[in-house]
Amino acid sequence: MSTLRNLARRKLRTTLTVLGITIGIAALVVFSSMANQINSLVGLGAEFYDDKIVVTDGEPFGTSPMRLADADAIAALDGVAAVDPRVELLWESDLAIGFGIPDTVTGSTPGADAGHDTVPLKLATGRMLTAEDEGNLVVLGSTLAVKHGVVAGGSVEIRGEAFEVVGTLQSTLTAPDTTALVPLRTAQLIYLGDLPPLVAESLVAEELVNQIIVYPVEGSDFDAVAGAIEATIANSATMTGAEFDETVGGTTAIFNAIIIGIAVISLVVGGLSVINTMAMSVAERTREIGIKRAIGGSRRRIIRELVGEAGLIGIIGGLIGLTLGWVVVLLANDLGRSSGTVLFDLTPGTAVFAVAFSTILGMVAGLIPAWSAARLDPVAALRYE
Amino acid sequence: MMLLEGRNLRKTYRLSRRISLEVLRGVDVDIKAGEMVAIMGPSGSGKSTLMHILGLLHAPDANDGPAPELKFEGANVTRLSDGKRTKLRAHKMGFVFQSFNLVPTLSALENVTLAAEYGGMKSSAARRAALETLSWVGLDHRAKHRPMELSGGEQQRAALARALVNAPTLLLADEPTGNLDSSRSAEVLALLRRLNSERGQTTLLVTHDPAVAASTDRVIRMTDGLVDAEPQLALAA
Ligand SMILES: Nc1ncnc2c1ncn2[C@@H]1O[C@H](COP(=O)(O)OP(=O)(O)O)[C@@H](O)[C@H]1O
Ligand SMILES: [Mg+2]
Repeated sequence: MSTLRNLARRKLRTTLTVLGITIGIAALVVFSSMANQINSLVGLGAEFYDDKIVVTDGEPFGTSPMRLADADAIAALDGVAAVDPRVELLWESDLAIGFGIPDTVTGSTPGADAGHDTVPLKLATGRMLTAEDEGNLVVLGSTLAVKHGVVAGGSVEIRGEAFEVVGTLQSTLTAPDTTALVPLRTAQLIYLGDLPPLVAESLVAEELVNQIIVYPVEGSDFDAVAGAIEATIANSATMTGAEFDETVGGTTAIFNAIIIGIAVISLVVGGLSVINTMAMSVAERTREIGIKRAIGGSRRRIIRELVGEAGLIGIIGGLIGLTLGWVVVLLANDLGRSSGTVLFDLTPGTAVFAVAFSTILGMVAGLIPAWSAARLDPVAALRYE
Repeated sequence: MMLLEGRNLRKTYRLSRRISLEVLRGVDVDIKAGEMVAIMGPSGSGKSTLMHILGLLHAPDANDGPAPELKFEGANVTRLSDGKRTKLRAHKMGFVFQSFNLVPTLSALENVTLAAEYGGMKSSAARRAALETLSWVGLDHRAKHRPMELSGGEQQRAALARALVNAPTLLLADEPTGNLDSSRSAEVLALLRRLNSERGQTTLLVTHDPAVAASTDRVIRMTDGLVDAEPQLALAA
């Protein structure tokens, strides 16, 4: 009660200090939320690659043609449990360089993983595709469903053709949200049309894929299987979970470094302004501290009082900063959702950490001036005007 | 019974590297329990400094002379840690200052309650004791007012309530009426005298007013950092 009153007495300076902490904590919240999202994407990616080897022809994006026969050759290798040949396409025919992850169309044979895929997708409406489905049928990822305003039973246009929506997926906050699942055959036909005429001439749609997902037998040596695949299929490239971790590890590290950087900057800026505010407050209240010491207030009580005040500055700054960061995250995600990319994930853990961080920051910074206040000579402090 | 015994109390302030000010130059004082004693003397003679030492706000200087000694309730308190002195001040001493020295952001009630808490009471008991003491000094109707909203006389009565709330063994009042007009002074002095006569409150009072001094049990006169020799001793010499 009197803690608040003491802060209110120095409105402007307290406001500025709280503002400084607010900005630091808001930045911390926004970037931590971004890191959460990146880390969970990476985590899901790692989970995705955990049980499989992805085989492409080695070109960037893994969208160059391979032969369906390659899948059969791989299936015959030792240690391979199942193969899932796929065609991955961009929703739009021309690759517009946009913000975030582009919408994609994936053609595959339902059930090809033979139950080995450990991260199955969940339906929001309708049904999944079956091996018997053919033609212009589609299951839409959650972001695509929202974007096109459809549920199971509706229809969407892909590459100028009408597709019947048989199902929509639950949100995963990751790549499947922006993916449309179609029968393999349907995707093969679109894919052939996408290829340059000279290349297309010599190819048959049914034999065309651009990605083969390989499920090795449980407990087998993935690197050995990957090596056997590369030896068997000319011009092929494999990606295993370990390689994925290596590739994305760098990105994650950069993000974590940014977070630590912001935390350190908030620490220094917030900490120094709390120290400054509390030091001024102690100077202004020298006489009051002298009175309290003279009538029997112990050093510990004086320290507790001032550290409490500094902690309150920290809590207020932290809560406002959290609110501000939260608003930024909500707005950015709203914007992002319309372009198909959710970039921020503000978790309860991040929220609690941000407020706890600024509270402790305030208290620790407050300790320094509080300590010097407690050591004042009461008589000298009483003489102070 | 002797409540307070001081011997060879000295205090020197170093104003700079070469200039130092000998404010107390070897003072002996004895205060009996239940006594009301006035300290008189010219400004700058060291009255406040003596009060600060007797009230355990400062320790006497130990060097450049015979060892000082200060006993309070028979216990040696010459060299105590800050924590122990603070605790004794909280529980056994009550201070009243010339310039009131109330905490400006706290109401009269909160000021008194704070002292009661320092004296070891829990907050609800402290509040009750504070209200009771405020009504004893006739300030219950002003309990919720902040110092700025109180007259000088009211502020000093609030400060007196703060000094008394822990039923101190020793009340130290340093020119408590120095900032008050004569009728407010009379009120405060009447309270101090009533305390002494009704409750046997041991009181040490710095004053410039000979009439006030005359109404106490005994007067200690100071000049230049020393206690004046008693007149009859001076005659005998
Ligand atoms: N902390 C201090 N530093 C320097 N000088 C001081 C200090 N405290 C008191 N003095 C000086 O010591 C002298 C005695 O002060 P004080 O005990 O307050 O006298 P009194 O109360 O009799 O007027 C004065 O000259 C005062 O200026
Ligand atoms: Mg004085």
